[in-house]
Amino acid sequence: MANYFNTLPLREQLEQLGKCRFMHLDEFEDGVEALRGKKMVVIGCGAQGLNQGLNLRDSGLDVSYALREAAISEQRQSWKNATENGFTVGTYDELLPTADVVLNLTPDKQHTSVVETIMPMMKKDACLSYSHGFNIVEEGMQIRDDITVIMVAPKCPGSEVRAEYVRGFGVPTLIAVHEDNDPNGEGLALAKAYAVGTGGHKAGVLMSSFIAEVKSDLMGEQTILCGMLQTGSLLCFDKMIEEGVDPAYASKLIQYGWETVTEALKYGGVTNMMDRLSNPAKIRAFELSEELKDIMRPLYNKHQDDIMTGRFSETMMADWANDDVELLGWRADTAETPYEQTEAGDMEISEQEYFDNGILMVAMVKAGVELAFETMTAAGIIADSAYYESLHETPLIANTIARKKLYEMNATISDTAEYGCYLYNHACVPLLADFMKGIKSDVIGKGLDLDDTAVDNARLIEVNEAIRSHPVEAIGAELRGYMADMKRIV
Amino acid sequence: MEGFSITLDALSVDFDGRFQLRDIDWTIRTGEHWLITGTNGSGKSALAATLAGDGTVESGTLSGLPGRIALVSYERQAELIAAERRKDDADILDVISEGTPVSEIIDATPVDGGSDDEPMDRQLAQELVDTLGLRPLMGRAFRKLSTGETRKVMLIRALASRPQLLVLDEPFDGLDHDSLHWLQGYLQTLSETVPMVLVLNRFDECPDFITDVAYTDDGQLTHRVQRSDEAAFAELSHLLHLQTTDLALPPADTAANLPPLDPAEPLVRLTGATIRYPDNTVFEDLDWTIEPSVHWQVTGPNGSGKTCLLSLITGDHPQCYVNDIRVFGFQRGSGESIWQIKQYIGYVSTALQWEYRVGTSLRNVIISGFFDSIGLYSKSSDQQKAIADEWLALLGMADQPNTPFTELSFGEQRLVLIARAMVKHPPLLILDEPCLGLDDINRQLVLALIERICQASETTVLYVNHREQDRIRGIDNHLALTGDQPS
Repeated sequence: MANYFNTLPLREQLEQLGKCRFMHLDEFEDGVEALRGKKMVVIGCGAQGLNQGLNLRDSGLDVSYALREAAISEQRQSWKNATENGFTVGTYDELLPTADVVLNLTPDKQHTSVVETIMPMMKKDACLSYSHGFNIVEEGMQIRDDITVIMVAPKCPGSEVRAEYVRGFGVPTLIAVHEDNDPNGEGLALAKAYAVGTGGHKAGVLMSSFIAEVKSDLMGEQTILCGMLQTGSLLCFDKMIEEGVDPAYASKLIQYGWETVTEALKYGGVTNMMDRLSNPAKIRAFELSEELKDIMRPLYNKHQDDIMTGRFSETMMADWANDDVELLGWRADTAETPYEQTEAGDMEISEQEYFDNGILMVAMVKAGVELAFETMTAAGIIADSAYYESLHETPLIANTIARKKLYEMNATISDTAEYGCYLYNHACVPLLADFMKGIKSDVIGKGLDLDDTAVDNARLIEVNEAIRSHPVEAIGAELRGYMADMKRIV
Repeated sequence: MEGFSITLDALSVDFDGRFQLRDIDWTIRTGEHWLITGTNGSGKSALAATLAGDGTVESGTLSGLPGRIALVSYERQAELIAAERRKDDADILDVISEGTPVSEIIDATPVDGGSDDEPMDRQLAQELVDTLGLRPLMGRAFRKLSTGETRKVMLIRALASRPQLLVLDEPFDGLDHDSLHWLQGYLQTLSETVPMVLVLNRFDECPDFITDVAYTDDGQLTHRVQRSDEAAFAELSHLLHLQTTDLALPPADTAANLPPLDPAEPLVRLTGATIRYPDNTVFEDLDWTIEPSVHWQVTGPNGSGKTCLLSLITGDHPQCYVNDIRVFGFQRGSGESIWQIKQYIGYVSTALQWEYRVGTSLRNVIISGFFDSIGLYSKSSDQQKAIADEWLALLGMADQPNTPFTELSFGEQRLVLIARAMVKHPPLLILDEPCLGLDDINRQLVLALIERICQASETTVLYVNHREQDRIRGIDNHLALTGDQPS
């Protein structure tokens, strides 16, 4: 199998990368009709598989679960998940030959073997659905010509996919049709109906392409989302210890600090996050972030280049073939870091204190978000995609760190994201070594010690202007506006 | 004000076999001014009259009463008028009796428990006659006065009797605007020297000097609340509002076209319903049919599967797809969506309240009932907003449509969620332990609201509770889950 993206001419590559459109609610007026009465069979009964299935069934669709014979005979967790919820469970042989739509909700790593197994069993003109395009785009999986291939990817963890549906809402969802496999031209109708069935249409659906999804998703997750937060956590913690900050305080400031500062990001973009700082602190954070961006830009470019050329996936797949030796080794190393080894203290840290004492963390988030966005758009990814895969998802990962710190964060995210995160971290820590030498506890751990918060007017205007005019702010305001129109009330 | 302490200790009082006050424990201390409130027939007037010596003490003690107590009440007013009439009837002479003139009635003011050496304050009485505009009526027969005028006479007698305790039962009723205004001001001043007990049906007339509230229910004194306890005072106020308001249940949304149900078909039919987990069976083989307009109460100990049973009906339990369930004409698992089921159901439970942690306004919470959602994600019509506001008025919250839901007390939130459940007039209202976690006042509040709903709508009510005493009038059918199934 060859990298599919690399087989396309440049013109086609750019066209596919540029696909991303926020769909309007009136495009979903047909509801689940395109799927009504069709037999939907889910492969994989983890958090996504189970919760998507629960939603689809509650939307009136016919859902069952195909599991490997061993999972059934040994009554593994996936079997328990499906049967306790009253679903029909059967082997691939029993269920796939009559399936109209097969939902492949297994981990990326298993896609090739799963798809190769199920494809011969699928009936003519059936539909195969993915929730991530890696297998098609990076591994170049060839799907039988008569099969329609679509992607429906809720942009939230499985538990949230269910919880939001039960509330009468949904989670933002990305859909795509693999144009090489849309023999009857029904891919889009099926993907839309599927998004309605999971409730995604109420929260906003992005129409994208397999390629745009993969190339932007990989870039976002390994740089700003997981990589920058991991590197930032380790560097900020070590610096605070060096500066004599109480380790328990330092640990807590980092664990919950990312979540607190990115909450501000979620509501009002980089502008709002920066506005939470005092004027002198904002100017400091801005200057630090400019410095960080200059230092890290080559690294972000390299990650994007390796993703575009397929070098990243090649490297990672080699590790898959080698029993994940690198991945598991790096995961174990994370557990050994001083930050991970230090329990967060039980002192009170007010919401504002996370900003005041975490100026460098704010600068790192700003630098990472802007760099990832700039790099993606420079590579031909449309601004909407770049926004979702950088700024929009950062609070989700920050929330995972708040709940589970780094080791568990890495174990929770996909293996693909985790592998990329380690690559980034290994390159970024040494890259920032010199920069970190100049850092003191005033920007991480203790806050600026100023009698007077006066700033120069001209400088403040200049900094505010630079923050507000970044292109991620314009698209962010527009997309958050759509979301607000949908009256999301959290 | 002299120091005193009136104590009612386990006091039971009989009123000619017509009414009993039971087991009253109450203390009125120096510096306190009490308001007695409660629904009609709950015993508030009887309690007030007891302080003035009415009724027959059957058990318990009443101690510490001051010497001179003045009582103004409808009962006293009626007695006086009846006495006048008897005088007339008793007159065997062949002359037309004019009855006792007002001036004599005022002069002859008896002072309850008083002695002759402390006569009434005649000068004050004459001043009050002028103030209340009774001067032109002084020569007229008392029994020829209007109700409002006799009430004024009664007030003058009471106020002029140098009372050491003034008991006023609905003093503001029947007074014209000017007199009412004057009396409120007068009592405010008088409160500095004379302890008072007022009986009022309406909380919004509660004078500022009142320090404590006693709430009567069914012949008992069930709540004593300090005015300074704002939350408890507000809850009592809500309770009284709900029990006494004339507001009807707001209408349904005329623009909403809920697909009509076949009236011949039961709302719910479970056949051999079973909920089973690998390690236990919650219940099995349960048959149950709910016909329209037949209300049900479901009881059973914790863990007997009450909530599971409900969630089979609402579609929230995943095993509803492996049971034989027919709801609102849909055989479950035949391609219907849960939103098609939920549109016919209003639902309230503690679990829902825990889920409903949204910082939205009271109005939006109620409107969300039209969409069966937690939070509001759809555009609402002007009519829906208007209906939501009517519900808030019914709940006594008309002035706070934009208050964030999360700022309400637990009990107030429950009321709003019941309104949310009822806002679309669902064919089936499911109340899963609606009083759970509520204190006594809030429990009564919720029950009062549910009772109004049962009386005033087409909705079939399914009420789950394990508290035997929280019964609701109009719910006659009973399903008991035993907890050791099969049932």
